Amino acid sequence: MNGIIFDIKEMAVHDGPGIRTTVFFKGCPLRCQWCHNPEGLSFKPQLMYKSKNCLGCDKCKQHCDHPECQPFKRCVHICPENCLSIAGRTVTAKDLAKEIIPSADVLGKDFGGFTFSGGEPLAQSEFLLELTDELKNFHLCMETSGYCDSEIFNKVIEKLDFVIMDIKLADNDLHKKYTGVGNEKILRNFEDLKQSGKPFVIRTPLISGITDTKDNLSKIQNIVGDSAWEKLPENNAAGAKYKMLRVE
Amino acid sequence: MNKNLYNFIVNKEHHIYRRSVDWNLGKEYSEKGLSPMERMADRFERMMNEEKPVILPDEKIVFLRTVSNLPDCFSEQEWEELREKYYIHELGYISNFSPNYYDTISVGLLAKREEAGEYGKRAIDNILKLSDRYLEEAKKQGREDLVEILTQVPRHPARNFREALQFFRIIHFALWIEGNYHNTLGRFDKYIYPYLKADMEKGVYTRETALELLEDFFLSFNKDSDIYVGVQQGDNGQSMMLGGLDENGEYIFNLLTELCMEASCNNKLIDPKINLRVNKDTPKEIYIKATHLTKAGLGFPQYSNDDIVIPALEKLGYEHNDAVNYAVAACWEFIIPNVGADVDNIGAMSYPKAIDTVLHDGFMECETYEEFFAKVKAEINNECDRICAGIKNLWFVPSPFMNVLMGCNIAEGSKYNNFGIHGTGIATGADSLAVIKKYVFEEKTISKQKLLEAVDSNFEKHSELLPLLRYEAPKLGNNDDYVDSIATDLLDSFADCLKGRVNCRGGIYRAGTGSAMFYLWHADEIGASPDGRRAKEPFGTNYSVSLFAKVKGPVSVIASMTKQHFENAINGGPLTLEFHQSVFADEDGVGKVAALVKRYIELGGHQLQLNTVNTERLLDAQKHPENYRQLVVRIWGWSAYFVELDKEYQDHVIARQAYKV
Repeated sequence: MNGIIFDIKEMAVHDGPGIRTTVFFKGCPLRCQWCHNPEGLSFKPQLMYKSKNCLGCDKCKQHCDHPECQPFKRCVHICPENCLSIAGRTVTAKDLAKEIIPSADVLGKDFGGFTFSGGEPLAQSEFLLELTDELKNFHLCMETSGYCDSEIFNKVIEKLDFVIMDIKLADNDLHKKYTGVGNEKILRNFEDLKQSGKPFVIRTPLISGITDTKDNLSKIQNIVGDSAWEKLPENNAAGAKYKMLRVE
Repeated sequence: MNKNLYNFIVNKEHHIYRRSVDWNLGKEYSEKGLSPMERMADRFERMMNEEKPVILPDEKIVFLRTVSNLPDCFSEQEWEELREKYYIHELGYISNFSPNYYDTISVGLLAKREEAGEYGKRAIDNILKLSDRYLEEAKKQGREDLVEILTQVPRHPARNFREALQFFRIIHFALWIEGNYHNTLGRFDKYIYPYLKADMEKGVYTRETALELLEDFFLSFNKDSDIYVGVQQGDNGQSMMLGGLDENGEYIFNLLTELCMEASCNNKLIDPKINLRVNKDTPKEIYIKATHLTKAGLGFPQYSNDDIVIPALEKLGYEHNDAVNYAVAACWEFIIPNVGADVDNIGAMSYPKAIDTVLHDGFMECETYEEFFAKVKAEINNECDRICAGIKNLWFVPSPFMNVLMGCNIAEGSKYNNFGIHGTGIATGADSLAVIKKYVFEEKTISKQKLLEAVDSNFEKHSELLPLLRYEAPKLGNNDDYVDSIATDLLDSFADCLKGRVNCRGGIYRAGTGSAMFYLWHADEIGASPDGRRAKEPFGTNYSVSLFAKVKGPVSVIASMTKQHFENAINGGPLTLEFHQSVFADEDGVGKVAALVKRYIELGGHQLQLNTVNTERLLDAQKHPENYRQLVVRIWGWSAYFVELDKEYQDHVIARQAYKV
């Protein structure tokens, strides 16, 4: 089964217990206005352009034969300053597992496990399930919006050791306004998560004026109850990656 | 620490007590025809007499340099003659040794005077003279505490923690005035802890008050350091070695070890430089404490792995009890305190240069990669021939007080007289060889001619090769055996080429993994290289991955950089890892970095320096240095105030990879 990912990060520090390797799945059904991984939104490969080092030599505009370059009408291999790259590559679960398992070997007992993030891992659930099988000897964690059909959600969490799930907005209308989707599925999946017995933590990104309102936070507190809940401060580095995705 | 004193020193207000002398000693001594030993003795006497005892308000550890220059003992012409006649290493004076402070502290200078020769006695007398003048000044200022201390030390043995620290300061002060430089500090916690322990048992100090005093002691290393010689500000060799095994195989980690790391963290100054010896059994808690120091952004501690270093030194012929007591020289070379006269930075061999030489002479005739590598190894051997052949008749200016501390005429050598040679640009070398192996010989997608033309034209010709070689070819640091094994071969080859050679003092040569400052100089010797490095771009420092290599992350880097056979090449030279400041923002992040360091040691890594960086801050500091006077960065083996560095050093720091996790 093929999947599309846009990054693999070694030594992820805030993505679960221990020193972990995090795989970032490309594509997400949500469109949160504050998303700090914009290259994770579309399911398709995208051209990323770092304008800072651009010499204006236009070598990238010359014709090339690389299949991966054709959709963008730019050659990503020719830039002397490495300004161009493609976010998103297709990979089989088996090949991806082969690629990331060595980092576990290096760390031995200090290896915490693998985390699936993105983008939205649940949006490529078949690929994700195959991957969890390939990695079944390791501690597995998922960072997710929780937005998917109930059946898929339960199938996936059954394979995991830890779940980090966002609850961003308690009010359905506000949720739709700021993320593009309602939160019914998310809240229902949260109930199943609680029932599953799987260890988890709920996360709420604190977005100024949107999610950090007293009203929203107290409503989420009611939803979460006694369960583990983290409020995350805003990520200011998001802006730069948005610029990289726009190519003149 | 005493905030007022701290600010006074940091703001350089104590410089008002300084003046310079205009003596032309070289001329005077050459006209008088004085022997080197006599010159050193005379200069020391005059400099010590010229010193004015200054006790700053609330200063607990005294002695302050008030003469800011040190006139040379020889004239320019004499140096020319000396350099004709002998091999002169660097400035010609004794440097980079770790003398026996601790034995002297425990017996006192009077006892050392008994066993000393004529010149040793003279040097000691001059120290006592200045010390007595400080004693008078203390009486004048009503400083009863200092009166008591200076009545006891340095004449007599230190009786307690504070006297031990003061005695250390006096010795160190005297060494620098004598003209010795990069006088490294040795195994401080091992020898000074007993004094602290006794005092704490008597209730003289609490943990807090002991820490305060230690902070003042550490502050003292920063009073005169701008006067000390070095390639850049901060390169002064005030390196302290903490932790590590003792002669009984016990791991030393005591309260003083902890307090040293805390004092360094609290002071946030670039001296003394903190080194920590560890091994695979060192508990995680120690790595966590050390990582809290790393978090301070000073580039401390630098780790050395006993499991690798001690057996490797023994393999080279060091006796067990000496190997077990190793410290580091100014930066990271492994030296033996008290009895080691190893000159560990006597030369440097450039891997990229050897490859470049063969690329232009021999490459075209090679049919296989193995043939090419064999020629590269032969060229490394030629370079070793050249370096070693050039070192005949090593001569140092004799050093009377240093002799007292090392128990012999150290300028002529001691128990160990080995030489160390750095190996620069290993990543550039390995990456270049990987390109040649893969594209020229295996896949045959780049012809020899094409590669040569591209490199020689600095990639103007065949410019499409640049991004391929620079960004897409295999790189050291990605846990890719293809390249990692090439680095192993290079280090093995270098070690092989030095094996069996005897130096002019009867010692051996040690291959190293360091670069010192050669990462800039050697890079200028060649043009572009096959790894996609452009002409004029520097190599990475010491044992690190290429500056522009795309690496997966720190886990892959430590995997790659622990595969090599350090037991054959133990001169020293660390891997450098840098993390963005945000990694250390919480205990979880600190714990994970600590776990990574522990893992590095378990994997057999030999030496590691790591630091926190914030590239945005560095760039801003270049634009607005006045706002960043205290910003510290790690250089090749020491730490510096970023804004005091020359621009090329600054740029190099900025170009280094920082792992953001």
